[in-house]
Amino acid sequence: MTATTSTEAGKYLSNCPPPLVADTSVVINLIATGFASPIIEALRHSLIVADVVPSELAIGSGRGRTDLERFNELVNGAIIKVASLGDLGMQHFESLVIGPAAETLDDGEAATIACAIERSGVAYIDERKAWRICSERYKALNVGSTVDLLTHADVRAQLSDETVADAIYNALQRGRMSVLPTHFSVVVSLIGAERAALCESLPRSIRLSAKKPAV
Amino acid sequence: MTISIDQILPAETGERLRLARESAKITQAAAAQAIGVARTTIVAMEQGERRARTSELQQLARLYGTSVNALLRRESVHVDLAPRFRRMVGSDKAATEAAELMAHLAKAEVELENLLGIKRQRNYPPERTILPGDVKAQAEQDATELRQRLGLGIGPVTNIITLLEMELGVRVYVRRVDGRISGVFAYDDALGACMLLNANHPRERRNNSGGHETGHFISTRRQPEVLHLDETENSREERYANAFARAFLTPARAVLQKFQEVTAGADRMTRRHVIILAHFFAVSREAMVRRLEELGSVKPGTWDWFIANGGIRDEQARQVLGDLIVPDAEKADADRPTTLRLNLLAYEAHRRGLMSEGQLARLLALDRVELREILGSQAHDGNDLDGGGEILE
Repeated sequence: MTATTSTEAGKYLSNCPPPLVADTSVVINLIATGFASPIIEALRHSLIVADVVPSELAIGSGRGRTDLERFNELVNGAIIKVASLGDLGMQHFESLVIGPAAETLDDGEAATIACAIERSGVAYIDERKAWRICSERYKALNVGSTVDLLTHADVRAQLSDETVADAIYNALQRGRMSVLPTHFSVVVSLIGAERAALCESLPRSIRLSAKKPAV
Repeated sequence: MTISIDQILPAETGERLRLARESAKITQAAAAQAIGVARTTIVAMEQGERRARTSELQQLARLYGTSVNALLRRESVHVDLAPRFRRMVGSDKAATEAAELMAHLAKAEVELENLLGIKRQRNYPPERTILPGDVKAQAEQDATELRQRLGLGIGPVTNIITLLEMELGVRVYVRRVDGRISGVFAYDDALGACMLLNANHPRERRNNSGGHETGHFISTRRQPEVLHLDETENSREERYANAFARAFLTPARAVLQKFQEVTAGADRMTRRHVIILAHFFAVSREAMVRRLEELGSVKPGTWDWFIANGGIRDEQARQVLGDLIVPDAEKADADRPTTLRLNLLAYEAHRRGLMSEGQLARLLALDRVELREILGSQAHDGNDLDGGGEILE
């Protein structure tokens, strides 16, 4: 397993694309796409996860899920890097995990945000509460979702529309990926109305409207 | 509003660390070795004499199978139910697992209730300490008292789970656990009275187990209890609980009256009679016959005679009762990853932005995709079940 620490943060120089820091929720979706390697390799950015993510993936291992094995393959292939928090990151982490439930996040989500702040990166989390907390407390931090990652300009430039559409459909079906309301139309247009109607993780109104023939 | 680790009393953090370590069955020495400190450092942290650093908390949380957030968020519930059970049942793995499952479900439920501002009504009857003297007589008296309190008269208790939950405010979970375990009971100030009944057992046996655990709730509330299948009565407490269950589920007058009605002057008690009576009182056929033996309606040894002569089979019960046998809904609920009520609470906490996916997955011990399926299935925009009227204050 490759681990980087904040001492390496200096390698992200201003002319380097900022690292993308993915939360457990996004890693599960990426693996569910069936195209994790080509998607991540298409990115000019490094894809990093906080070192707590593997233990969160392990929660599903006892129930027959293979996310941790797939993740370890990606780490061993140097496609994903695992990062520990430095002092600055640890301070942010602490402020995100201690306090009232409504104002805190679990360790993986908090570490993802802390890591992105520490490394001047972009945090990718599929969690409304995390986005709300970031918008209130870390206004300068860029936050994205799995759909943002799958439709990233680098990915669209390298992979065919068909592959991107299949990846999104697989993430919806196998990973029950959640989709932001602002992304409904792009998701439906990419995967097509017929497949959108089959995705239980899309809201019913979207599935029904996808079924209706265009007027 | 955020809080720093410095704003939490070291003693409070230490106590939570101790409970988490004991729940994870890890010794202080092993914890110390795992994070590279001396055992005395772990001792000092747990006793609140040394403040734990965030990095140490992170390492310890991971080692204990939890998270810093689960340890230190304000509303999380920290109780020592599982260690208390382990001290009681020793190396009995099945009992430990059942007790841990109950503790896990109750803790999650209480945290979500607290977060959502839901207060469960506790309408507990007074505790009745077992006094020296005839245990059975005391149990009969206390069971009658509870029946009167609940306004049951001499009618059957067809669903003790609903009764315990709705009338008394006991937390009852019906989950699949090892077949040797019939029931688990514990009381904790934070959680209240909690009971777990085995979904792998037939409904009638679960009713018996529920009656037995209710006896412990009345008599020895502060002692955690595990009821094993066919447990021998090796203590006054167990004799009390069994007698309480019999008197509560099959009150003497009701049984004698119904026996007279059902046998209708016959000179032998047949399998058909037993099946009808057991169905009426919602208890097992064995419990029914043994109660009739106890009340002197049939000769002692009648149940043993049935057993020696082929027993009373489920197929025979189906022939007698036909459509009167209803599906066991609690078994179906037990096959879900969590309870229906926890699903609803989790959905609501997520919808209101009070708990994140990561927090809920850990609290409910679910993998993310399982949790997403649960949250998705409850979503207001999820399916046809979700149209409806506004709930008024």
